[in-house]
Parts: sequence; C-alpha cells; structure tokens
Amino acid sequence: MTTEMTRTTCRILLLPILMISVGVLVKGYADIGDGFSAGVIASLGIILQGVAFGAEEFDRLPLVRYAPLATFAGLFLALAVAFLPVVSGDPIFLHHPVAGDSATHFGALEFITPVLFDIGVFLIVIGFCVGSIGAVARETVRRERDRGAQAETRRGSPGAPAERGDRR
Amino acid sequence: MTIALPLAILWFGALFIALFDGTRKPVGYTAVGLLAAALAATVALGIDVHRHGPKEMGIAGWEAGVGIALRADMLGITFAVVSLVVLTTALWFEVSRDVKARIFPALVMFMGLGLTGLFFTGDAFNFYVFFEISMVAAYVLASYGESPRQLRAALIFIVVNLLGSVLFLVGIAAMYHNTGWLDMDRISVQTPMLEENPVILTATIIFVAFSIKLGLFPFHFWLPAVYTGTRPAVAAILSGALANIGSYGLLRFGADIFPRELREGAWVMLILGSISIVYGGVQAIARHSPNEVLAYSTIGQVGYILIALSIGGEAGYAAAILYAVINALNKTLLFLSASLRGWIAGAAFAVGAFSVAGVPPAGGFFGKMVIFQIGIDDGRPLIVALVFVGGALSFVYMFQLYRARFWINQEADEATTKGALALVVALALAIVLIGVFPEPLLSISREATSILPERAP
Repeated sequence: MTTEMTRTTCRILLLPILMISVGVLVKGYADIGDGFSAGVIASLGIILQGVAFGAEEFDRLPLVRYAPLATFAGLFLALAVAFLPVVSGDPIFLHHPVAGDSATHFGALEFITPVLFDIGVFLIVIGFCVGSIGAVARETVRRERDRGAQAETRRGSPGAPAERGDRR
Repeated sequence: MTIALPLAILWFGALFIALFDGTRKPVGYTAVGLLAAALAATVALGIDVHRHGPKEMGIAGWEAGVGIALRADMLGITFAVVSLVVLTTALWFEVSRDVKARIFPALVMFMGLGLTGLFFTGDAFNFYVFFEISMVAAYVLASYGESPRQLRAALIFIVVNLLGSVLFLVGIAAMYHNTGWLDMDRISVQTPMLEENPVILTATIIFVAFSIKLGLFPFHFWLPAVYTGTRPAVAAILSGALANIGSYGLLRFGADIFPRELREGAWVMLILGSISIVYGGVQAIARHSPNEVLAYSTIGQVGYILIALSIGGEAGYAAAILYAVINALNKTLLFLSASLRGWIAGAAFAVGAFSVAGVPPAGGFFGKMVIFQIGIDDGRPLIVALVFVGGALSFVYMFQLYRARFWINQEADEATTKGALALVVALALAIVLIGVFPEPLLSISREATSILPERAP
C-alpha cells in the first residue's frame, strides 16, 4: 500500500504531465518531440496513478476506461491523413499546405496536416500503453480475488478450463 | 488504378472489423467480403501493370531515394494475389465453421495488409515494417484456439521468428551501411560496385532470415511443432500466405539486389534444396498425424523453390515463382481438406495430393515439369533425379495420409459444413484448372521475372 504522500504527489503530477505531453506533441515541428514521445509521457503519467492508487481505482479513471477506443480513433485519424490525398489523385501522405507553402502559426503550433497524423500516433500510444497495462492489472486483481475466494472455501477446484470461457 | 487502393481497403477494413465481435457470422462474412474486395483491387492493379508496366508512388510526393516509394510490379502482384486468395479462402473456411476468437477476422485482415504492403514496397526498411505487421498478426494467430497445445506452438513460433526478424533487420542495417540507401532499386545499382566480402555477409544474413520463414532444411526445426499445434485454417494461412514472404524475399533480395552473390552461392542453395527435398519427404513418410505429415511436406516442397533459384536465369526464376504459387495453393487445399470428412473432402484432398506429387492433371505437375525441363536442357542429371525422388517420396506420404485420413479413420473431429466443402472443392478445381490451362500462369511468372536483372544464367 502506498502512503498518503505518494498518492497526493501522483495526483498533483497528473495534470502537469499531461500538459508537458501536449507541449511535446505540439513542439514536434520546431523542436525535439513528436506524437510517439508525447504519448509515452502522457501514458506514464496515467499509469503512475495506477501505481499509487491500485488497479481498481485506476480502472475508474475515465482516461483508462476509454483507452482502447483511443487506439482505434488514433489509428483511424492517422490512416485518414495518410490516405485522404489519394482521393484527389495525389500520392499517399501528401501534406497540406505542401512543401514550400507557408503555414498558419499559433505559437509553436503549425496548422499542417502532419500535426493531425501525430495526434493520431499520440492517441495510439496512449491507448495501447494504458489499455494493455490496465488489462494486465485487471487480470492480476481478478486472480488474487479468485485465490482469496479459494482459500476461504478451502476446496481447491482445479481451475476452470480457459478454452471455453474466452470465446468472446 | 492506384497502388494505394488495396492497402486502403485492407487497412481501414481491418480497423473496422476489429471494432466488432468477430465470432458473429455477419462480421466474419464482412471481413471475407473486404478481403475479396482487396483481392479484386490487386487483380485490377495487376491488369493495369500488365498493360502499362510497373507503377511507382513516392510517399508524400518525394522522389525515390529521398522518400519511401511504393512500387507495384508483376513479381509483387503475383505474390500479393496468391496470398490474398489463400487468406480469403482460409478466413471463409473458418467463418463457415465457427470462429473461436473475436479478433480472428481482423487479424487475418491485418496479415493481408502486412503481406500486400511488403509485396508493394520499394524500400528495404518499409519492407521490414510491413513484414513485422504480418508477423505480429501471425504470432497472435498461431495461438488461436488458446489451448495449451496452441500456446506452446505459438511460443516456439514467436521465439524462432523473432530471431529471424532480428537477423533480417541486421541485414537491412548492413545494406544501408554498405550502400547508403534503403531504396531497393538504388541498393541493387550500388551492390555490384562494392567489395564482395561485406556484401556476401549481408546476403547470407538475409538468406538465413528468409530461410527461417520458409522453413528450409537447417532452419526448419520450428515448423513441424507449430503446424501440428495450430488449427487447420491457421496452418493454411501460415504455409500458404505467410511463407510467401520467404519465397518473395529470396527472389526480391536474392535475384534483384544480390544477383552476383546469388550466383556464387548457387551451389549452397542447390545442396540445401536437395537435402530439404529428401529430408522433408523421408520425415513425412515416418509421421502419422496429418498436420505433421503436411508440415514435413512443406519443408520438402520449398526445396524445389530453392533449386529453381539456384539454377537462375529467366527459366529458373520463372520456375521458382510458378512453384511458389502452386505450392501455396496446394498447402492451403491440403490443410483445409484434411480436417473435413466425407468423399467430397476426400476427392479434394486427393487433388491436392496429386498436385504435390506432381501427377497431371493437377497444377503441381507443371511446377515439377518446368524444373525437370531445365534439368534436361542444362544437362544436369542431379536435378532430374531429385525431381523424380522427391515426386516418388511425396506420392508415398500423400497416399499414406489419404488412406489413414479418409479410409481408415472416418470419425469427424469437427463440423464439416457445406460452405467449407464448397471452398475446398473450388480450390481443388482451381488447381486442376491451372493444370489443364497452365499457359496464363506460365506467362505471368515469366513476366514477373522481367524486372529481375541478370536473367541470363
């Protein structure tokens, strides 16, 4: 069990970590960083909550619950950016505005389609990291609970065959 | 017709199918339909390439060499079409019986995407990326069924093939180090100008990497354990679609990028191919379970591809392509029909068995005949003898298996549905059709070699 100190620190850290990850994501075009590293930073911040508060509390975070959907949304967004130019007969991944044209700036953020692609990558990384760690944590909790229940009833049943139960 | 269309169908399709529960029939059949659509798009692209020559698309409009290029030529398209045919058939087969995992249809589509992508890419590193997409799908597919036996098979498969992937990555890094390019065309221009030793080392590493995928003789050890453990549809996918990476890779990297090294290593390939044929055949005779016999048969059959490659020249490469195509169809038919019951399944299996043994009118006859002909034309008695010995061995084990499977042991291990029967019959008819009208396939495989340099032996 973690101390009150750890938990408070972790909770306070979450928002700054998310802010930094968005910064890294946006800065990627002028400076070091991109969707992948931003996604890793953000998911580490979220997973930290799981470490501090335990798997069950972790599951209650909306960010964790919708993580698998984020993977789908991210992959769809990235693919759409890649394949949409084909519709107008251009090669895949052609970005707008095209090389040589100037883009609109908003601080460090440039309004170009590769930013959308990177947001897609960001979502995939968050969805995958948080989703897979969440799945492992959930399974661990479930097994511990099963073991506890087994010890209580004192009847060691030989574990239900996993083949049938996993169909869906 | 754009190169991007088959990739777009497969990629968006796989993503879409992954959202739904794949054990439900409508979802499964939608996935089959999407795969068939990608197949149709690839065939249309093939017709376009046949008429107007190879196509190229630089990603984001960057010219080749600076950016990554997608390239569609007859060699890639031939393998893409065969792989998609195999995947569509195997998925349809499984859906018509009972899909046991919700992710199965999406995984088959992701594998189709990886395969199509790597057949269409002109960039060595991009090849590796698509290669890994299809391998990751294959890792999960190998554990499909989720019984301890399948998990054991999947573990072996993952460990061995990860080693193969790492080797391949090392090979690509070496190629980049030697030539300074990742674009395959530029690498193939550069390699003849380089000193020979580093290139031979690189070529050997890549040869080993693809041999592991193919299950060639000294690298075959993982293959029987994996094929016996997996379900029939997955075994068909692994041997009919995924193994195409190996044959295509040997042709693309061997004949296209390292032709000089391929010529120098021809005798090694001849020896390995010969051992593969004899070893696979003898081992298959000694085995009893159908998947095990077919697994060893696969080891034997890839030997012919290697021999055709070692002969080289237009005839040799065309024979390798022809053999790879027919072998993929044979193995799919055999793995699928061996799991069914009844005389119709038996007849379909017999067609596959004839094809492997090289008996006309099945398509396999032409695969063997082309190699046989080269052996006679070049005056190489060893190759002629090998084709005979290999054919005799496969005749023995195939009919041993037929007898054990369809005469002695009649009980069904799983549902034999009408849809599954119709599929294996269609596949058997296709193989007979190739045997009766071999000219289109012969001319396609000859056209596919036209992009390979140094076709003269």
